[in-house]
Amino acid sequence: MSLDAIPVHVVNAGEGGLSGNAPPLLRELLTGVRRLLSDAEPSSIDLTALPLTPADLDWLRDTLGQGEVRVTLDANGESSLDETACPGVWWVTHRNEQGAVVAQFLEVAFVPELVRAQVEDIRIGSAYLESLMSENPSARSTAPYDEEAASCRDL
Amino acid sequence: MQGSLIDSLARQGITRRAFLKYCAMLASMMALPPSAGRAMAEAMATARRPSVIWLPFQECTGCTESITRSHSPSIEGMIFDLISLDYQETLMAAAGHQAEEALHATMKSNHGKYLLIVDGSIPLGMNGAYSCIAGRSNVDLLKETASGAAAIVAMGSCASYGGIPKANPNPTGAVSVSDLVKDKPIVNIPGCPPIPVVMTGVLAHYLTFGALPELDAKGRPKAFFGETIHDRCYRRPFYDQGKFAKTFDDEGARRGWCLFELGCKGPVTYNACATVKWNGGTSWPVESGHGCLGCSEPDFWDGGSFYKALSMPADPLKLGGAAAVAGAAAGVAVSVANRVKKGAAKASHEKATLADLEK
Repeated sequence: MSLDAIPVHVVNAGEGGLSGNAPPLLRELLTGVRRLLSDAEPSSIDLTALPLTPADLDWLRDTLGQGEVRVTLDANGESSLDETACPGVWWVTHRNEQGAVVAQFLEVAFVPELVRAQVEDIRIGSAYLESLMSENPSARSTAPYDEEAASCRDL
Repeated sequence: MQGSLIDSLARQGITRRAFLKYCAMLASMMALPPSAGRAMAEAMATARRPSVIWLPFQECTGCTESITRSHSPSIEGMIFDLISLDYQETLMAAAGHQAEEALHATMKSNHGKYLLIVDGSIPLGMNGAYSCIAGRSNVDLLKETASGAAAIVAMGSCASYGGIPKANPNPTGAVSVSDLVKDKPIVNIPGCPPIPVVMTGVLAHYLTFGALPELDAKGRPKAFFGETIHDRCYRRPFYDQGKFAKTFDDEGARRGWCLFELGCKGPVTYNACATVKWNGGTSWPVESGHGCLGCSEPDFWDGGSFYKALSMPADPLKLGGAAAVAGAAAGVAVSVANRVKKGAAKASHEKATLADLEK
């Protein structure tokens, strides 16, 4: 059940529910973006930990705009990792299995780390590919999979 | 469970990526810097489940009620994946002699390594006869189990400070864990009840980093108890503007103004309700229109009326000071210089009244 069912709505501080806490984050993002450019060092801001009203978050999202990439991650609930109109700045929302937002970040990175395939998962994937080959007769004629060479490559 | 945590998760079909997401969420809930998620994932992947003994003393089971409603990490998830909860009277299937056997077996095989969680205060009156388990007094049990524990978590205001049982006139002679145990590291997680994720967060911290989190002067984890409710309150801008609700149904209350004059103890209460919220992040007392009771502070029960505004300042704040408070609240990305100012403002604003701000 969402809170919208309750007919009483709390009016938040300031104009249209804005607390004034969101605009300073733009400067923090700028610092992060400059650091990404100079040192290739990613950073992130945890929005859940800041006293931002829903209106503040809407303002921030509108101000940063929508970029070219939208990623949906389906792991323990849905997460969205969307590039903003400022390339390198990503709006990351994690949801749990029930669909409730559990964490929200602004990530400054070339690609958010969660998007990359993880080495451990790729290893499991390669074993799965092998099992697919053994089940499929037409794939069997190829040379046997050299696991040692493969693990050297991905390290 | 044998082997490391990450192996067991992989067997359950949980990918490394899902695990990284979980750690990022956990770090956020634990108010750690976002980069800590990665460090946690590294540490947790090789961690083994610590043995946990949970003893209930003079309590109402509200703390257990609260922790079983922890959403992420959920307590089921933690029991099966992260910790080995070997004794918890409310949750375990065993009873009677079987249960006591489990307790003693755990204490013996994990001597010096298990984590002891205590909820409830310990009555000392009449030689501890006010609260007994299996014919033994709470104080007796605490001393025995504490002697073999690596660390103790005092869960809830009763275990941390004595809580409601200790309220005047304290008929049972109730005391806190830290009043009795002096030779073990103790972390206090006060609150009546404590926020679920604070409880699971401290357990996760112990698991991932192998040590208790950084504590403040009252033995509370700084990550959650570092700031007052007031400093993180979304109604704080109204306080700065001098807009206060005068009764629970006036115009100000309907418009969501500050509840300071209705007795809100937010300015003197250190807890994470304002950001973590309750019931899976749905709402929290102030958002529901009621002031903070200060339930995570020592002796909150004897602190006077819940509906009386905090007392008049002994050293009234000057206008410049009030401006600094407003400035510090508005600037989220405060510089070091601003932090110093904020610290000074914080120290003085706890005594500020509406009259000073309106000057």
